[in-house]
Amino acid sequence: MKLLNGINSNKKSCQQGNGDLISDEKLTALVVDSDIICQVLEKAILESQGIQAQVVGSGRDAIDLLASGVNFDLIIIAMVLPIMNGVETTRQIRAMGIRSKMLGVTACSYERERRAFLDAGVDEFIEKPLTPQKLASVLREIRNA
Amino acid sequence: MERNPLQRQVAYMRRSLFDQGYLDEQFVQLEDLQDDANPNFVEEIVTLFYTDSARLIHNIEQALESRPLDFIRLDDYMHQFKGSSSSIGAKKVKNECTQFREHCSARSAEGCVRTFQQVKQEHTILRRKLETYFQLARQAGLAN
Repeated sequence: MKLLNGINSNKKSCQQGNGDLISDEKLTALVVDSDIICQVLEKAILESQGIQAQVVGSGRDAIDLLASGVNFDLIIIAMVLPIMNGVETTRQIRAMGIRSKMLGVTACSYERERRAFLDAGVDEFIEKPLTPQKLASVLREIRNA
Repeated sequence: MERNPLQRQVAYMRRSLFDQGYLDEQFVQLEDLQDDANPNFVEEIVTLFYTDSARLIHNIEQALESRPLDFIRLDDYMHQFKGSSSSIGAKKVKNECTQFREHCSARSAEGCVRTFQQVKQEHTILRRKLETYFQLARQAGLAN
C-alpha cells in the first residue's frame, strides 16, 4: 500500500549522504509511535506543513537513530510504546543531550500522564489525534528559534 | 458548483455520517490531507485502520479469555485502539474505547466484556457505512 511504502522508504531517503538530511531548508521531524495509523497520519500532517518526517515504531529505534548522529528539529513521541514507553524514552533522549523540541502525544491525557511526560522532558503535550492546528504553536517556536 | 444526483447522494451520505455521530471533525482533517499526490488518502488510511484494528480486536479477545484478567494489558490495547480510532475520526468507536478503559480502571470484568461488544459493534457499523460511502464516492468520481 502506498501509505506504508511512504513510511518504509523514508528511512532510506533520510539516511542518504552519511546520515545528513537531504534538505537543509526544510524542518525535520521524527515520529516515534508504534501505531501504524498514527504513524501515517502524523507523517502526512508534518509533510503537509513542509516538514521532512521520519518514522520509527519504538523508543529503542528512536534512541538508536539519534545516537547515530541524525538530528531532528522536532520529535513527536507517543506515550505508549513497546518495551520502553514514551516517558522513559524521552528521559533517555534528554540524557543524551538531545535538545530538539519534543512533543508528547497520547490517546488519553490523564493529568498524571501529562505530568510524567513533562517531567521526563517533553516541551509540550497533546492528546491525539495530531492536527495542523495543534502543531502550529510548536512549529512557530521552532521556526522563530 | 452544479452536482449530479450521484454527487448529491455522496454529499448527503457524508453529512449523515457526521450528523449521526459516526464521524467527527478529525475525518475532515483526513480529507484536507487528500490531494493530487495522495488522491485516495482517506480511503487508504481508513482501510489501514480496519486492517490494523482487526489485529487489536483479536488481541483483546484473547486477553478477555485469560483468567485472571490482565487489566493493564487490556487497557494498553484499548489505549492504542482509541488512538487510532480518534485519528480517523471514528467518534462512536472512540467513545466506546473510553468506556472500556473506565471499566479497566474499575477492574470490572463484566464491564470490559460488555463494553467490548459495543466497541466491536460500532467498529463494524462504521466499516459498513464507510465502505458504502467510498464505493459511492468512487462511482461519483468516475461519473464525473
